[in-house]
Amino acid sequence: MKIKVMKFGGTSVAKPEARMTSAMRVISAKEQGYSPVVVVSAIGRKGAPYATDTLLNLLREIDPNVEPDPRELDMMIACGEIMSAVIFAHTLKTLGHPAQAFRGGQAGIRTDGVYGNARIVGINPISLLRSIEQDKIPVVCGFQGVFVLNEGDPGGELTTLGRGGSDTTGAAIGAALQADAVEIYTDVDGVKTADPDAVKEAPTLRKVTYDEVAEIAHLGAKVVHPRAAEIAMNYGIPLWVKSTFTDDEGTEIVTRETFPGRRVTGVTHTGKLVYLQFDLIHAAEGDRAMLESRIYETMAKYGISLFMLNLSPSSTGFAVPRSQYPIVEGVLDGLVIPLSGEEKRVYLVQIGSKPSRVVETQASLLSSLGEVCRIPTLLTEGCTMVSLVGHEYMQQPGVFLDVLSTLVGGQVTVLQTSDSDYSLSCLVPEADTNRAVKLLHDRFKLAEVS
Amino acid sequence: MLINGSAETEFEKRRGVSRVEVRHGFAQVHISRIPNDVMTERLRILDLVAKAGISIDFLKLTPSGMSFLIPEPTAHQMDLVLEPCGDHFTVREERSIVLVYAVNIRDEEGLIAGMVHTAIANGIRVDHIGDMHDRMLMVVKKSEAEKLATLIKDTLTVPEVVS
Repeated sequence: MKIKVMKFGGTSVAKPEARMTSAMRVISAKEQGYSPVVVVSAIGRKGAPYATDTLLNLLREIDPNVEPDPRELDMMIACGEIMSAVIFAHTLKTLGHPAQAFRGGQAGIRTDGVYGNARIVGINPISLLRSIEQDKIPVVCGFQGVFVLNEGDPGGELTTLGRGGSDTTGAAIGAALQADAVEIYTDVDGVKTADPDAVKEAPTLRKVTYDEVAEIAHLGAKVVHPRAAEIAMNYGIPLWVKSTFTDDEGTEIVTRETFPGRRVTGVTHTGKLVYLQFDLIHAAEGDRAMLESRIYETMAKYGISLFMLNLSPSSTGFAVPRSQYPIVEGVLDGLVIPLSGEEKRVYLVQIGSKPSRVVETQASLLSSLGEVCRIPTLLTEGCTMVSLVGHEYMQQPGVFLDVLSTLVGGQVTVLQTSDSDYSLSCLVPEADTNRAVKLLHDRFKLAEVS
Repeated sequence: MLINGSAETEFEKRRGVSRVEVRHGFAQVHISRIPNDVMTERLRILDLVAKAGISIDFLKLTPSGMSFLIPEPTAHQMDLVLEPCGDHFTVREERSIVLVYAVNIRDEEGLIAGMVHTAIANGIRVDHIGDMHDRMLMVVKKSEAEKLATLIKDTLTVPEVVS
């Protein structure tokens, strides 16, 4: 039995014509002798009637001040994939190919108990195999599974897998079924050297390693999710990214043993960041560690994602997603940090050059206690992280010089940098995003990469 | 193989820290008090370093300069390269990188902040930080690297979640 798992993203199942094109790809695989197993995302992207965001809003609109329970949120957003799977299965049936829709739990996907960001702990694919044996095409809801607390409990709790969940479902089912291939279908030809919105001529990479694709996704490109890449890599399942709408051969994700990689793989960007730089130069030297500790403790407590961390003896800084900035502002602006010591100093965090009402109120209340030391915090809104991804190049002398001089020479302000074994990132003003991506793409001749 | 395959398979690594590794052999360079046109001066210094054939990591921009990491054996060379910068630079040897592996680290909200907090709250000065899709890299003094590795293993390896 040659099994091929074919995962279709939101745009591939959004409209009847797109679903028909996707269905014909499944039928074509069957005619080539494969037993196809389909995984589908919810119908359409943000704003579409049955897209995940739309379903979430149905709950949130009831009263924006009352956050829905995570359990109920999961049940609600899982509806998008259920509808999509049923419609896709019926589309196949109308084309003369019997198919069966499966919820994540019915497909045997078991997860841990974290609503909204569950991880797959195991898959029992028996129901999918029975379906294949009966010459049916299983169509599985992506992005969901069930959590069973105690063996024998009825049903199990529905959970969703978080970001990239449908890719993860596709790769995990491929691993469970020991598939010949997992194909991720989307609306682009494969993994590109840059976002085509920024660089129209960005070519499609024919091969890319699991590590590279995971890093590209980590740094903002909307390709295969790192979780899916890791599962496919660990189980040795060939993974492809292809377009539903063209006959381009797509991108094959391979191991480093079979493909040594290239000097520079691509340029990515992840937008909508806010950068905060806490000035500790006026804090007593012995207090700085405690102040930093309190700031990071607060960020951890509120589950804030940090980018571009920067620690120096006189300051500390990081970028946060704009979507999380209201939480950050709410907990840090006006934060009072009393330090016990002989002098009993009190510190007050002030975000931005002008004190907010909260800061003014806190300062007024604290004035009777003696000196209040401000921690001025420089706020830079509207930032983007632009990253050069590659493995071979990052260890060479001069790479930072190349990247910085290219951006500075192109009149792009670089606010901060960050790097790892696979990438070099620069924080730049959001308005310069496309220009920064294009400058780096041209400098490293990525249009010539294949 | 398959049809009777009711056996379940472990798929994803558990959330949280899965492994901690320490790499030794680095030195940290700080350049400060650049008076004017800081970015031009940074580029000039990076050019000198590149021409000397020295590979750098963990470049961070500071308001009046920058800092970065170099392989420890090249530390003595750096003194010569940066001599034209006057006395506004320091090279601190005996630095190590603590690599903390946690799959899909960016989606585990608060985990990165939690690691930094763990280090600082325990008196460990973190000089630099970087991250990848599956790991975080923290530069600390060699003498504190093993302590930090143990602390993170002990405090941030998250047990299986049960609702």
